[in-house]
Amino acid sequence: MNRSLESWQNEAIRCIRCGACQNVCPVFKELQVESTVARGRVKLIRGVINKDLDLSEGLIDKMSLCLMCKACVANCPSGVKVDKLVEAARKEIAEKKGLSPLKNLVFRLVLKNRWIFDTGMRTGRFFQGLVFRKGPEGQGVLPRMSLGIDKRRLLSPLAQKTFKSLYPEVVNVPEAKMKVAFFTGCMINYIYTDTGRAVINVLKKNGVEVRIPALQNCCGTPVRINGDYETAKTMAKANIDVLLKENYDSVVVACGTCGLSLKEEYAELLQDDPIYLEKAKKLGSIVKDFTELVVALEGFQDKMGHLPLKVTYHDPCHLARGLRVKAQPRKIIRSIPGVVFQEMDKADTCCGSGGSFSLYHYELSTKINDHKVNTIKQTGAELLVTGCSACRMHIADGLNRQGISVQVMHTAQLIEMAYESKQRKDNEKFGGIGGKGLG
Amino acid sequence: MRPETIQRLSEIVGKDNIYTALEDLYCYTYDASFVKADLNTDLAGVAVYPGSTEEIARIIKIANQEKIPIVPRGAGTNVSGGSVSLGNCIILVLKRMNKILEIDRKNLIAVVEPGVITAQLQGEAEKMGLFYPPDPASQAFSTMGGNVAECAGGPRGVKYGVTRDYVIGLEVVLPSGEVINTGGRTMKNVTGYDMTKLFTGSEGTLCVITKIIVKLIPLPEAKNTMMAVFPEIAQACETVSEIIAAGLVPCALELLDNIYIKNIEEYAKVGLPIDAGAVLLIEVDGDSEILGKQIRKIEQICKGLGAVQIRIASTQMEAEELWRARRSAFAAVSRLRPTIIGEDATVPRSSIPDAVNRIQAIAAKYDLIIAILGHAGDGNLHATILTDETNVEEMARVEKAINEIFIVTVELGGSLSGEHGIGRAKSKFITLQTGEAGLAVQRQIKQALDPHNLLNPGVMFGA
Repeated sequence: MNRSLESWQNEAIRCIRCGACQNVCPVFKELQVESTVARGRVKLIRGVINKDLDLSEGLIDKMSLCLMCKACVANCPSGVKVDKLVEAARKEIAEKKGLSPLKNLVFRLVLKNRWIFDTGMRTGRFFQGLVFRKGPEGQGVLPRMSLGIDKRRLLSPLAQKTFKSLYPEVVNVPEAKMKVAFFTGCMINYIYTDTGRAVINVLKKNGVEVRIPALQNCCGTPVRINGDYETAKTMAKANIDVLLKENYDSVVVACGTCGLSLKEEYAELLQDDPIYLEKAKKLGSIVKDFTELVVALEGFQDKMGHLPLKVTYHDPCHLARGLRVKAQPRKIIRSIPGVVFQEMDKADTCCGSGGSFSLYHYELSTKINDHKVNTIKQTGAELLVTGCSACRMHIADGLNRQGISVQVMHTAQLIEMAYESKQRKDNEKFGGIGGKGLG
Repeated sequence: MRPETIQRLSEIVGKDNIYTALEDLYCYTYDASFVKADLNTDLAGVAVYPGSTEEIARIIKIANQEKIPIVPRGAGTNVSGGSVSLGNCIILVLKRMNKILEIDRKNLIAVVEPGVITAQLQGEAEKMGLFYPPDPASQAFSTMGGNVAECAGGPRGVKYGVTRDYVIGLEVVLPSGEVINTGGRTMKNVTGYDMTKLFTGSEGTLCVITKIIVKLIPLPEAKNTMMAVFPEIAQACETVSEIIAAGLVPCALELLDNIYIKNIEEYAKVGLPIDAGAVLLIEVDGDSEILGKQIRKIEQICKGLGAVQIRIASTQMEAEELWRARRSAFAAVSRLRPTIIGEDATVPRSSIPDAVNRIQAIAAKYDLIIAILGHAGDGNLHATILTDETNVEEMARVEKAINEIFIVTVELGGSLSGEHGIGRAKSKFITLQTGEAGLAVQRQIKQALDPHNLLNPGVMFGA
């Protein structure tokens, strides 16, 4: 998409300034200042378009104060695409003013080049002990020194081995009923390999052959929403080529952000490239969130054993308002015998992570997170399930800060647990050797 | 603004509650109306977010000494240009004063700070079986202070009245910086002039509201909702008059014209016949035993006057479905043209058919799309002009059309504004209704309370 910022004027004037976004914007809820709500952002963007305002430091800061959670878009009576407007403004800023040196390095060198990312992440694993200390109860790590990241920030440690190095490219099952590609995304590959493992185990158990194409990259969203379109396009094309190389019934994602980029945003990004636009649309048509795929599998719930747990669910922004997946994870959770599902208040309000937002605006991001943690606490649940690794990390950090012992996991892991529970029961019943888990 | 002044203000509210950057101040050049402050002449000097009545009094005293205009502001959702900035003014935002101080079950009253969100008060009252009826479309995000300053109304006005009917006491800071209390906690109160009612709807021109006492009523037990479709808008209008004349008082009586119907159907697929002239959405509330009877009577009236389709919701879900049509009205027409200007002319209920005809004639004359949606039960028509603000030539026609709508409204014995307020948007038309002598009286009141014209100058009476 090579649209100029000026070309967004017609979208911007559709904002009738009614103020309905004040009711849902998580950033405004904390700051309460007009320039930090969607209506204000749109006005500022119009100000840039009609040359009332420059791309000043102040303006750049206002544009960075958006979580891209889409709550305003979903609640706007005129349906103004505020997220697209902010993205267009960030693109303008990146082109005219350049990215910050750190973002430049990360986006242009690291995320774009898989081998550097891999090497960096592997090296990172050895050195992280020097920089981070273990969090309480062995959960996560806390920074030992200032990295421009708040010292209280609970980050999850990098995995000992990346997910893709743990599994072969093809995970075979006898008499497979379908063949899918698994797009892991960065956080599952480098940090939450347990989520990746659960995705594979659950799909295998349901007779789905899973391929994990080795040459897949970061989806490119962190790069694109910070305005670096050129890098994002290169990354999108590489992923499209990798994922369309073979015929898959579906491309499965376990992250709403990756999923939305593959399903819809690649096609928007590559609008001016007729060849890749077609390919992007083709890819988009087969992308499915993991939970969408699971609920469509016949008998997925028959393999579930008893789990005596009180569970609540947090809707990730890009899964709920991006891929419109809200019912499927709930259906899965409710189908597990023994699980008591307790809906939290405002389950689809942003957890405050916003990807790199939480690194640049940590104080604010934790304030937003405090509301989420409180609503989780009110449910009395002992387990918080969600469909996004970034939410998982940010909410675990919040629970840690407030000393609340609620476990956090991905929906795939909960299903894996339920399957294991039945497997154990069956093994006991038939005198088999227990504890081997799924196979 | 002088740095010393900003320093003094900063000492009052604290450095985290004061804003002077261009990007921040730019965001006070608008509200939800089509009025915009000119960046070159009307950028605010500072925006402050005070936390108490005492802080406000100190800020106003500084403004008084230095003759700096003050624009009070809540959520900035008013639709008449009542809270846009003026050159070098202080924007006084009351959002930090956001506590519900008490809900008194025995006396059926609530005491709130001005920054409380209206829907929040309603939610808390409902938990106690109580009801605060005024329901402006912005209730989920507008503030009580703003609602009182503008005397906000809403669909429920037909049965329950508007904000003014519920405000019984206020604490305000006068332009001199003095703090006074008006009215009180009693239902009856005739001590002196009724300052409470004067300040309610004063649009920030006479005082800054810092505490509000409202009366509450018992929460109605149940609701019943129905929708009636008419081939001609005149039949729907007549039905409205008949329902009222029969002594039935619905809590909502909403009218949608053909432009709305067509677009809603295309957008939301709610099953409306696209050639229908008008739709009435009717809701009654009260004791559950009598609601069925009321709905049947209304149904008879609708049928008698030519309704071709009547839907009565039997469950809460079905009621929601009927309201979905009304709620999607705005989004539906916003797809047609980028700019929407909602007018607020209100006429005596019996003049609705006349008013609709004449508005349609004005639309034809200036070749504009003007859709009509209204709280028909109280004569409050929202003529919605669908246009494009980047089209200068068309905007000139829009302005002429709006002028004529005002003239027609007053000719029909109506009001320039039912619930949106005069603000800056309609100040030049005020004498159409008040007359010169009437305006002079209002100016004298303003002059007596605010001799230096510091509070929201230009609002209501023009520059």
